[in-house]
Amino acid sequence: MSETSAPKSSSSVASGQKATNVPGDADISDTQTAHYSPPWADLSIIGIAGSSGSGKTSLAVEIVQSLNLPWVIILSIDSFYKSLTPEQNAAAHRNEYDLDSPNSIDFDLLVEKLQELKQGKRTDIPIYSFQEHQRLDKTISIYSPHVIILEGILALHDPRILKMLDMKIFVEADADVCLSRRIVRDVRERGRTIEGTIKQWFAYVKPVFQLYVEPQKQAADLIVPRGMHNIMAIQMIVNQTRQILKEKSIRHKAELERLGQQLEDYTLSENAIILAGKPQITGVATILRDPSTAQVDFIFYFDRLTALLVEKALDCHNHVSTDVITPQGYRYSGLKSAGKISAVVILRGGSCMETGLKRTIPDCLTGRLLIQSNYRTGEPELHYLKLFPDLDKHETVMLLDPQMPNGGAALMAVKVLVDHGVAESRIVFVTCLAGKRGLKRLMTVFPKIKVVTADVVEDNEKRWIEERYLGC
Amino acid sequence: MASVPRANGVQSPAVGVGPSYRPAEEKPTATVSRDVSHENVHVLPQTPQLIALLTIIRDKDTQRADFIFYSNRIIRLLVEEGLNHLPVVAHTVTSPVGKDYVGVKFEGKICGVSIMRAGESMEEGLRECCRSVRIGKILIQRNEETSQPKLFYEKLPTDIKDRWVLLLDPMLATGGSAIMAVEVLKSKGVPEDRILFLNLIASPEGIQNFAEKVPKVRVVTAFIDQGLNEHK
Repeated sequence: MSETSAPKSSSSVASGQKATNVPGDADISDTQTAHYSPPWADLSIIGIAGSSGSGKTSLAVEIVQSLNLPWVIILSIDSFYKSLTPEQNAAAHRNEYDLDSPNSIDFDLLVEKLQELKQGKRTDIPIYSFQEHQRLDKTISIYSPHVIILEGILALHDPRILKMLDMKIFVEADADVCLSRRIVRDVRERGRTIEGTIKQWFAYVKPVFQLYVEPQKQAADLIVPRGMHNIMAIQMIVNQTRQILKEKSIRHKAELERLGQQLEDYTLSENAIILAGKPQITGVATILRDPSTAQVDFIFYFDRLTALLVEKALDCHNHVSTDVITPQGYRYSGLKSAGKISAVVILRGGSCMETGLKRTIPDCLTGRLLIQSNYRTGEPELHYLKLFPDLDKHETVMLLDPQMPNGGAALMAVKVLVDHGVAESRIVFVTCLAGKRGLKRLMTVFPKIKVVTADVVEDNEKRWIEERYLGC
Repeated sequence: MASVPRANGVQSPAVGVGPSYRPAEEKPTATVSRDVSHENVHVLPQTPQLIALLTIIRDKDTQRADFIFYSNRIIRLLVEEGLNHLPVVAHTVTSPVGKDYVGVKFEGKICGVSIMRAGESMEEGLRECCRSVRIGKILIQRNEETSQPKLFYEKLPTDIKDRWVLLLDPMLATGGSAIMAVEVLKSKGVPEDRILFLNLIASPEGIQNFAEKVPKVRVVTAFIDQGLNEHK
């Protein structure tokens, strides 16, 4: 357990860097403002290098599969090949171009992308076509990984990348095995011929191996002989990765805990809109809490309540003046919506609020986030997201979650929207029951968002609304 | 309902609309409801959202489906606000997390009464908030020559005198029909202070007249106009 102290200190450095890197947060002079660092701003990178055909990819896949977590992903250096000029391209098709030398890889871009990911930002990774030897126009978007496995022949080559790696692995394999694997792969997956592959092997791959690949062993923490067949080594790497993830989870929970401290004196701003107090709201809340309420009645009263909450949330939406002519021919100076309104549902609880939402805005654009609390640790985890590409241009984005027991999932959800370019002041978090500390925690980190809640309750109430509404 | 948007051309000056924390220069301007000083007349808060809804239903170019949908949204807000005026008694339940929650229980039975035919358009909104509510009907027509309202028909729950009554009429012009409807309810034994009148748009004369004739009836309205046009 002595290992935990070292990463902890490094995390405080990481979060320190983060604070200076987020311009939106830096200019808030309010002393009540705190900073939340999500787990994806605490990224670990594992580098796996080795000769072509040594089984790097298989090893990486094996690690990811045995962990089976959405936030452990593989990033292949192959995506960062430079696009070839027409002459180079022609040479490459004659298998006379050296694709294995460090010069053919855009390390500058790779470093830039890894730095972005380290800061917890959403990053677009290029896609390289081996058939065309060109970078495609399309990109793949990567967001919120906790661990990235960086895999490539030269993963341990660039000193800037070496500095960012948390674990450095070199995979060794017999040269005959490598050549035969390479032939099979290039012919099957990359549309090459056997002759071409062999020609390339002796002209480029082997010399490059001796010149660049093999020396990387010097930088490695771990050298894995026999690649994929070394089950013991794979098991060790998986276990070490588990340990890294566990420490991250501990740090993230500590981060959430830290944000919950010293909030007693914090007074909620006007941005927290609480409906409680009116007899109808209390009456509906009583029916909802009553265990003898039938599920059909529960659904009816909950839909009624959410429709009201959404109406209240829309009061935060911006409007502009407009003149209309009434059927009698008079001019009325009224208002109209200033832009798009959309909602992002935090699954699974948020889906209960969609009926109420659609009752108010039948054609509301709805994105989705699946944030689950880990059943063992209670840590919120982002499993899935599907958001509109133009979300940053929407005038108002509502986040829907029936309960905010401690603000953990809410913090994460707002952070996801902010990371996708939505201005804080355009976010309205709509909930029925907000935990007292959770609400304050959320508002200290994101003071400009608005929160509409039916009531403020004790912290850490279990998520009973979705269980009652969905019946399981 | 086709005649809902109505103005006499005398517009009150447009004012900035928006939440208190927003600086004045960032608030868009629009015409909002007139203030009235009757204790039992409640105007919904003039939020930008409500004004935008009213703008849609006043616009002659609004499609019928949109008109129905958006007027329904305002009606729901009226019903929700109206229900806040009903009495409740303290009621404690044990919540699913095992704690006692000191809440309230609705007391007394309610029923809706719509003044035909415009009031019927508000029944759906009422039902969306109160599922199995009983709905009575009153048909009052105005004599075109004398401009006096005349009761043609009424069908009300037999136990109406024991109920709170939500009286529905989207438009209040002179107040004549609404006052007559209240008189019908009173003649059935409903005390005046157990009647809630839910209304979308009212004229100031109508509100004045209504509040003077039946002062104990509580009125919940979304908007009070500046004045009435010449066609009473």
